[in-house]
Amino acid sequence: MSETTKNTALFALVAALFVLSGIFQSWNASLTILNMALISAIMALGVNLQWGFAGLFNVGVMGFVALGGLATVLIGAKPVEGAWSAGGFQILLALVLGAATVVATVLVYTRLPAGRTRTIAVLATLIIGFFIYRAVFDPAVAAVEAINPAMHGNLGGLNWLAVGRDASVRQADLFVLLAWPVGGLLAAGAAWVIGKTALGLRSDYLAIATLGIAEIIIAVMKNEDWLARGVKNVSGLPRPVPYEVTLQDSSSFVERATSLGLDPTTASTLWIKTLYAGLFSVVLVVILVMAQLALKSPWGRMMRAIRDNEVAARAMGKDVTKRHLQIFILGSAICGVAGAMMTTLDGQLTPGSYQPLRFTFLIWLMVIVGGSGNNFGAVLGGFLIYFLWIQVEPMGTWLLDALTSGLPDGNALKEHLKGSAAYMRLMTMGIVLLLVLRFSPRGLIPEK
Amino acid sequence: MSNNPYQDDRGNKDASITKTGGGTMQVSTGTDHAMSTDEAFLIGDSMTGGYGKSGPDILHDCTIAVNKGEIAVIVGPNGAGKSTAMKATFGMLHLRQGSVRLDGTDITGLTPQARVAAGMGFVPQTSNIFTSMTVEENLEMGAFIRKDDYRQTIEQIYDLFPILRDKRRQPAGELSGGQRQQVAVGRALMTQPKVLLLDEPTAGVSPIVMDELFDRIIEVARTGISILMVEQNARQALEIADKGYVLVQGRNAHTGTGKDLLADPEVRQSFLGG
Amino acid sequence: MDFLNALVVLSNFVLIPAVAYGSQLALGALGVTLIYGILRFSNFAHGDTMAFGTMVVVLVTYLFQSWGLSLGPLPTALLALPFGILGCMVLVLVTDRAVYRFYRQQKAKPVILVIVSMGVMFIMNGLVRFIIGPNDQRFADGERFIISVREFKQMTGLSEGLAIRTTQGITVVTAIIVVALLFWFLNKTRTGKSMRAYSDNEDLALLSGINPERVVLYTWLIVAALATVAGTLYGLDKTFKPFTYFQLLLPIFAAAIVGGLGNPLGAIAGGFVIAFSEVTITYAWKKVLKYLLPENLEPSSLVQLLSTDYKFAVSFAILVVVLLFKPTGLFKGKSV
Repeated sequence: MSETTKNTALFALVAALFVLSGIFQSWNASLTILNMALISAIMALGVNLQWGFAGLFNVGVMGFVALGGLATVLIGAKPVEGAWSAGGFQILLALVLGAATVVATVLVYTRLPAGRTRTIAVLATLIIGFFIYRAVFDPAVAAVEAINPAMHGNLGGLNWLAVGRDASVRQADLFVLLAWPVGGLLAAGAAWVIGKTALGLRSDYLAIATLGIAEIIIAVMKNEDWLARGVKNVSGLPRPVPYEVTLQDSSSFVERATSLGLDPTTASTLWIKTLYAGLFSVVLVVILVMAQLALKSPWGRMMRAIRDNEVAARAMGKDVTKRHLQIFILGSAICGVAGAMMTTLDGQLTPGSYQPLRFTFLIWLMVIVGGSGNNFGAVLGGFLIYFLWIQVEPMGTWLLDALTSGLPDGNALKEHLKGSAAYMRLMTMGIVLLLVLRFSPRGLIPEK
Repeated sequence: MSNNPYQDDRGNKDASITKTGGGTMQVSTGTDHAMSTDEAFLIGDSMTGGYGKSGPDILHDCTIAVNKGEIAVIVGPNGAGKSTAMKATFGMLHLRQGSVRLDGTDITGLTPQARVAAGMGFVPQTSNIFTSMTVEENLEMGAFIRKDDYRQTIEQIYDLFPILRDKRRQPAGELSGGQRQQVAVGRALMTQPKVLLLDEPTAGVSPIVMDELFDRIIEVARTGISILMVEQNARQALEIADKGYVLVQGRNAHTGTGKDLLADPEVRQSFLGG
Repeated sequence: MDFLNALVVLSNFVLIPAVAYGSQLALGALGVTLIYGILRFSNFAHGDTMAFGTMVVVLVTYLFQSWGLSLGPLPTALLALPFGILGCMVLVLVTDRAVYRFYRQQKAKPVILVIVSMGVMFIMNGLVRFIIGPNDQRFADGERFIISVREFKQMTGLSEGLAIRTTQGITVVTAIIVVALLFWFLNKTRTGKSMRAYSDNEDLALLSGINPERVVLYTWLIVAALATVAGTLYGLDKTFKPFTYFQLLLPIFAAAIVGGLGNPLGAIAGGFVIAFSEVTITYAWKKVLKYLLPENLEPSSLVQLLSTDYKFAVSFAILVVVLLFKPTGLFKGKSV
């Protein structure tokens, strides 16, 4: 069997999984999984860029995904009335002051000669700067968070177009699509800061740096209510596709649905999910094509040359650190875009739902299982692993039901096992990873 | 890039999750057929082979031997396979031909660890001490396979290298180059080997320290331990050698007593700078 | 008097909690650092190993409680601790046999082992939740306080009280004992020394006749014990929740790296550095300053530098600062 046939067969197999799930469960469920699988595949492409092409160990995928989500709120949501005048600009000023403090500290540290004077000056700059920052920041935040706390209490987004719109008329808002590239930019910015720090150290400490930053990003999003309402969540974000209700009200849509033998409610949800799937597929294909072109370009060859023999690459005058920074930023930006897409799909931002197992390690699993260094592998891994992630739970329940069928109802063990079925999927994921690593360490579609 | 997928780390060198510098020792033993024997105490007899089962041959029908209580020195130009020849006698090279015998017993099939147990001591050229451990702990680790009381051996080594007695509580990594070499030799002597292999013991030490180290090596040989040594400093090494081997491209070019080789005009011309 | 009151407040809210938390982190970081030193990779499953050991302790504690067994004023969990350690040892040895050993034989690169440990993390994570569920388990019993606030006030006549919880006392005492045992083992016993030798120079250790599989075996056993003790102490002091243990991975890694990966002394120092900075920076200093500053300078706000939710940010910031100045950590890393 040639390689192409094998790979096509693998993709066909995964497609068959989705079709089977459509037939035996429901097309609605199958499409829901497909949409998230598309997004996961994009994330996997981002991680594959970093790990597969450059050997960079990013365990902070969650943070970049969350930043993308934040972008969706900051771009897609309506600005909260009065928030900017109440304290929005002051918050910005405070953040600028905070950044200025950091810059000043660095300047003091680099300009002054080493010694006690420098230590004192650095500490003084930091402490004074911090207190000025807090003095400007705290009242502004309080003012913003006081605005209608039950509904808002945050700055809202930049979607000025939606300001005058009647909220009761629900319509597609393409403005939110702008959040996707912005999410990428936000993630790229964070990646630049992390990369500059962690890759610049004498030996690189990217793993711990990304692990830490991801937690910090989530902490900020959970606690800074003025930003995106923290754990109170932002919901009702605009979406780039029509609403089900609107479709059900449209007579032409109902007519078409009936002609296909579907009831309008089901048809509307299916149609909207298909629209999302279409949008996501476009993004996935664009990124995949770009990643493939990059891989085959001189740039991609250089990246692989650096990966395979860094010493030789350095000797040839390649700036390895700079290249690593570049690819780290690119990969993180892709994760940011995917994060923004995910929040758009959900229509809400819930910082509490970001968990490293789901958004960092599961993505890694996709890349490893699919095949590190191979873009198609990453995409395949994204589809397959996400499908399993969702479907293992019902399978687990079924399995445990079957295993415990001999026990009487109300048996403590039986109840416990049934209640624990949800955790089977964590174990399954681990087993899948270990099996692939052991028996097919290059993944399902290995790098050429 | 290695063909083993488990050894492909994609150039990752993230110090926060992985520790660099794992073991690199190659274990390769055995030829595929037996050869005739000789009388030397340790002999690598007509060895042909290279690193790994499929690697290109580095040694070609090369024979190295050392007699009881004598010093044999391997010299030669860079890339002549000097260290390789010595490693071959220690089971770190796959021999396609030839055999290694210790005191008449064929040890060609033994692993390096087993050769240590059989009475061989090996001092690698680099990374030959436990830098984070004290001098005394280094010696204790040298005696790891011994079940009897080794305290007396430690005392003997302190007598041989008195400076180590003063530094016994210091981490070996903090010592000077010459002292480190003494620790390394001391560690290898802890198993009370019958033959000691030294891979360029004087690399990177000053000429004064080098002379001192050679003196010590002669002392070790006087206690009845055979010494097989690879040396860059050919002239000094041949002066103390009972037997010398000049290797060129993995082959025996000249063999003789140290004095003979020093006197041989061809050897002088080509390898000793006139 | 004011100064004493300030000191008491400081001890009560900063020093004592930080010492207890620091001991827990130090024990956790020791486990990470040992694996890093000997097996050469960072074990992402360490948090879940801790959770597993603690889970066994919790279950055995419940069993003992149902039998009416107790240690009087001390928590029953101490009685269950040996069983937890044994359970955890079995788990890690089975894992090593089934998973890690293969990669050692393949001479796999450390980063492959890191990825393998992710898989192990998933499995252990699921396993713990499968057995005990994702919820909080309170298993501390016995006397709650060594000294309670009321007793302290009566004793000293100060207006501020000092409470030392039993769990805090036990944490510190146990940590000291465990660390002392560990250092004795590493520095004085033949096996301990062989572990250090193997960590220092693998090839030379092999030439010296040290059996790597034995070294690895002992390492796992010690790590299992350390993880269970650390997890149990943390659980007694706070509460046992699988997800929290997974999250402890960050401060534990931070502690191990700040101290210098692979260096046990560094792991302990790192644990305390991280704990103290987390607690001091997220503590509201108003109460302390109230006693120290003259009345007109008394702060009106809480004087809390950062909200407690940012404690991870603090561990991380400390880590970055240390690495910027000392890339191998406070103590020179990479050696056990």
